[in-house]
Amino acid sequence: METDILIIGAGPAGLAAAFEMASKGLDVTIVDESITMGGQLNQQTQVIPSLPSSFQSMRGFELAAHLTKQLEEYDIRYLLGHRVIGFYKDGSVGITDEQDVFAVKAKKIIVATGAAENAVAFPKWTLPGVMTIGAAQTMINRDFVQPGKEAVIVGSSDFALDAALQLSEVGVHVKGFIEKNAGILSRDLEKIEQVKKMGIPIYLDSFIKEARGMGAVEEIEIEIGTRVLTEKVDLVCVDGGRSPILDIFYQLGCSFGYQKELGGWVPQYNHQFQTDRQDIFLAGNAAGISTQGVLLVTGMLAGINVCEAVGAITKTIADEEKDFLWKELEILETKYNPNIWEARNRHMENFAHPVIKEQFLS
Amino acid sequence: MHIQHHPILGGQLHKPVTIYFNDQPYKAYEQQTVAAALMANDIKRLGLSRNLVQPRGLFCTRGRCCSCYMTVNGEDHVRTCMVKVEEGMKIYLNDEDPDVRREFCGD
Repeated sequence: METDILIIGAGPAGLAAAFEMASKGLDVTIVDESITMGGQLNQQTQVIPSLPSSFQSMRGFELAAHLTKQLEEYDIRYLLGHRVIGFYKDGSVGITDEQDVFAVKAKKIIVATGAAENAVAFPKWTLPGVMTIGAAQTMINRDFVQPGKEAVIVGSSDFALDAALQLSEVGVHVKGFIEKNAGILSRDLEKIEQVKKMGIPIYLDSFIKEARGMGAVEEIEIEIGTRVLTEKVDLVCVDGGRSPILDIFYQLGCSFGYQKELGGWVPQYNHQFQTDRQDIFLAGNAAGISTQGVLLVTGMLAGINVCEAVGAITKTIADEEKDFLWKELEILETKYNPNIWEARNRHMENFAHPVIKEQFLS
Repeated sequence: MHIQHHPILGGQLHKPVTIYFNDQPYKAYEQQTVAAALMANDIKRLGLSRNLVQPRGLFCTRGRCCSCYMTVNGEDHVRTCMVKVEEGMKIYLNDEDPDVRREFCGD
């Protein structure tokens, strides 16, 4: 199979990139492991704060539907339920439908593999009933399953607050937030107020000392300063933050740099969202963990840069569109967290000095 | 427990299917993944870890952590968070290594 552009990942960044390129007449193929488009937006029932100016305010799953719908009029090849498992010597991408493997030859590739949630370790954290906050959210909003009756949340980010509020709405009794830092991590005052109003306690300077249970979690001990609290719970949702998914970049031999604010190791890329492999671009959380509005803009930027690289648009038009989008990216990311914007710029400036090249890290 | 009335998405569970876990029938709905359907029926232990022999269950729902491996319709090591239920599906715990690994003493 041959295509102009292969996009790996059908989440917000991948779909935004697809729109930029398909609307400029390029032949686009999208591959995603999942059978649904929209990535992790599908289980986000909260209203997404700060979307780019061309978007109306909407909930996550509505945004997924919107991004999918705006591609309808273009002839895009979708390889859903398919996985990239490697690369052939000639640069073709090895893709499997879980039965057979076939090769896809693309002029350019955009890697938009997104992020994975990090675990939070404590004694017996591997017991069934302990899961990531994203997993709990997926259970209730995608699979319509209540993952437990009594829960605690480890962490206090925006994302943790959203998960707790949504769990409460479907009848899960949230017994508290356990935050290891001295303050709440979320900057969303409205959500913090909502949580406080519901009477959910937020334990600061605290951690889970141990989880116990036969075959699944039944009880946890929370250490709060000098005090130890025992709670009966059958669900522990952990928020360890997120990190870019890098498997494909390792396989491609891309170089990496470390930026704590961007989620740890991130592929090196320049202002064109191009990695040190000229044919490989990237977008979304894979280019540094940020907020949904930013992910969309990085997808658009990657798409426009690829259009320019293959000659689908002139430099003048590309520059005009990119100028506008970079301004938008700065506004959205600075508003969310100025440290991330600074880290992104630092990371791009480091492009000429890769830290790690062709080395496996995990 | 299945969520019949979602506060934002409304009633979404329309097409029930029967799945078999350890040869016992359980109720699930068409759009659910195997791991989620089992959780709705209060089945959380999906397997045993080989080294420490500890229970394992659903953790990431993204197909990355592999904690939800089970045997589905005769196939071992299926990531049950990534596979949707089908009528009559036969599901077993992932409590020991499949034959192919035992025979060849893989790592």
